[in-house]
Amino acid sequence: MRLLRYLLQRVLLASVTLLGVSLLVFLALRFVPGGYADVMLGPFVTPQARATIATRFGLDQPMSVQYFHWLGALLQGDFGVSMVTRKPVIDELLRRAPVTAELAGLSLLLALGVGLPLGVASGVGGAGRRGGVGRIVGALGASVPDFVLGSVLIFVFSVWSLWLRVGGFVPLAEDPVANLRTMILPAVTLGVFGIALILRTTRDAVLRVMTEGHIMTAVARGDRPWTIVRRHVLRNAAIPVVTVAATYFGYLLGGAVIVEVLFSIPGVGFYIYSALENRDYAIVQAGVLAAAAVFVAINMLADTAYALLDPRIGAQR
Amino acid sequence: MRLLEMSRRSLLALGLGASLLAVPAGRAFAEEKVITWGKPGEITGFDVHVIGTVASWELFQLVYETLLTADENFDLQPGLAESWEQTSPTSYTFHLRKDAKWSNGRPVVADDVIGSLRRIINPETASYWAKQFGTIARMEAPDNHTVVVELEEPHTAFLPALAHISAAIIPIQEYEAGSFDPTSQLLGSGPFMVAEHKQDESWTLVRNPYYWRKGYPLADKLFAPIIPDESARIAALRDGRVDYTSFTNPDVPLLLARDRNVEVVPQQTTNYYRVDVNALSEKSPFHDRRVRQAMNLSLDREAIAQIAFGGTVSVDYPVPAAFQKQACRELPTYALPRAERLERARALLKEAGNTAPKIGIIATPANPMNPRIAQVVQQSMQEAGFQVEILQQPMAEYLQKVFTDGDFDMALSWLAGYTDPTMVISWWNPKFAVWNGVFQEDVPALDQALEEVKKMPVGAARDEKLAEVCKLIDEGANLLALVSKVDYIAYRDDQVAMKLATRTGSSNAFQYAAEYKPLD
Repeated sequence: MRLLRYLLQRVLLASVTLLGVSLLVFLALRFVPGGYADVMLGPFVTPQARATIATRFGLDQPMSVQYFHWLGALLQGDFGVSMVTRKPVIDELLRRAPVTAELAGLSLLLALGVGLPLGVASGVGGAGRRGGVGRIVGALGASVPDFVLGSVLIFVFSVWSLWLRVGGFVPLAEDPVANLRTMILPAVTLGVFGIALILRTTRDAVLRVMTEGHIMTAVARGDRPWTIVRRHVLRNAAIPVVTVAATYFGYLLGGAVIVEVLFSIPGVGFYIYSALENRDYAIVQAGVLAAAAVFVAINMLADTAYALLDPRIGAQR
Repeated sequence: MRLLEMSRRSLLALGLGASLLAVPAGRAFAEEKVITWGKPGEITGFDVHVIGTVASWELFQLVYETLLTADENFDLQPGLAESWEQTSPTSYTFHLRKDAKWSNGRPVVADDVIGSLRRIINPETASYWAKQFGTIARMEAPDNHTVVVELEEPHTAFLPALAHISAAIIPIQEYEAGSFDPTSQLLGSGPFMVAEHKQDESWTLVRNPYYWRKGYPLADKLFAPIIPDESARIAALRDGRVDYTSFTNPDVPLLLARDRNVEVVPQQTTNYYRVDVNALSEKSPFHDRRVRQAMNLSLDREAIAQIAFGGTVSVDYPVPAAFQKQACRELPTYALPRAERLERARALLKEAGNTAPKIGIIATPANPMNPRIAQVVQQSMQEAGFQVEILQQPMAEYLQKVFTDGDFDMALSWLAGYTDPTMVISWWNPKFAVWNGVFQEDVPALDQALEEVKKMPVGAARDEKLAEVCKLIDEGANLLALVSKVDYIAYRDDQVAMKLATRTGSSNAFQYAAEYKPLD
């Protein structure tokens, strides 16, 4: 019963958040300079052509009418149609979602697979050499923007392929090996920042836990270091790591726009980016809202995970 | 063991027998011939009569056809019309190919042509191309394969206008029946037809089984992944994922020079980079014609060609240099030595009472050459006293500022030169063009000259009139040609045999796509 009440509260909060996002993205698009007519017809757009386009897509209606019309359709599962292709936006989003999910999954795997052990080692290492290496790796990973790293990787691997492919995408179901070859570089580009994030958070969390009384007790008791880390440190340090990992995953699922565009990965991020360039309103509105919904959902899952990790939190709720 | 051996032999015999039975005519073993085109950008819409972007045209040109085409010398060639006559200064008769068919199997007939032209000139379609035809008075179809078009007055560029993809012929019967929507579908009579489209990802075209040119296209399938990033396109070319692609960056031939099996062909066009100058806004220093003329004199077009383009392009004129007309070349802006031009520019600024005008030049990085050109323009104008700020704005913002709000001083872009000298210069009349109405000064003498030159037949008199038009354009200094625009076609010569035009006037870089032959 308590859990149900908690979930209902979270869903209500999420709904309010998403409503706010819908209004923000709708207004932001309307106030951004240039419209679809400008982009589609280019310099040759005449007032008559502009009026034709506006009527065709309902853009001549007052903004409030447009917004509520869109919201009403959204609540019935109609995400609108692309002004370029006249095809339903939901179909494209569903087609592209697995691609973004795969990229996000690979990046998260990399981030956790490298960042976690490095973070633990660095935190346990403290002020020693291991701790220093961890700090440097974390700083570097957090400092290099993904568009810089991506561009460097494209340049290097377009000259020396080393089995990897630059750009292009092959669906996983079509050819898993070719898919991996095209996804490794974008996953690395995104994952480097994730490694730094997870590493630094883990390191800080481990350092904090290492100073707590129960760790001292375990050491005094003569427990082996690996046993102390496994039984006492990891679980207690997990909560901030889960928070950060969830936020990072939510960001990835929202569509890592820059990386998808750089590597021509046909995911949700690339779709939204192209639509924004074309002022294809329905796509941007639906895409941003979907990304926000995913982000909110992941945070809800993370909150639920806290209760499992830390019984004290579950009891409070 | 003996049993096992016998079983193995039996299986082998069975397998061989099955494979023999499976052999049909040799054709069944022929692999599908696929060529892959690294397309730099997605189309911005489906309506061939309305959309005005090259990214869209280059796809339309594979699916649709026009009545006429233009060759490398800008001479008109048969398209869907296998022959034509001009029976009077205003009358044209077109004889359609009897074997041309739509990709759904229906023959192309005269009603398709008339319906398509009517759709283009219909104000509700809002096609910017309508005006390039002149004024069509009437059209009729004496039979299913003959179309007669009568213009209200002579218009020399009428035939060249029919050669541009914006004048594509569409299946009118299906359009009027509602089974074909040109705003969301492509259905043409060209060498290819659309099999699949994944927005922003790829196009898959397959051969049109009803294409009138027997034996073509040579490829069964044309796959076009969309790769906007230049480096990613270079990588795709290098590793062989893409057979051919195109670039606007003149550095690409140098980057690919050492790559075995990669050929880069510079393709000359009638297109040129231009600068739009705001003559109408009182906020802009260019509201004063003397300041505009000073700017025009201070521009160093030769430096743009050498520095921004590494000498791979040449100075261009309102009447594109590719047409090899003398029209504009004698003007002071082009003919005088730079030192003298700068002196005149400074004198004009002094006369205007503004010796150090502050101006902004919009250089949208949507075309990577714009910022480079802007830097050279900035340096060259500073020598005359201008203080130039470069504004790199995204495409949509640039379009709104320049063509809707008129809130700018100068802006870089390019113009398509098409296949007749009078087509591109007609944009200098803002009442005709409309798109530049917020910044282009209306000069009655220029409008008059433009109207006259459009009616004149090709010849010495028309060339003289072109010279007069050039002079008026130069005096107004409102919309200026800079340097020619070259496209670079790069392809894997071990993967595809390509026929490429060294010059094109219709932004039809892949005019001979039906003849591209996969080699692997």
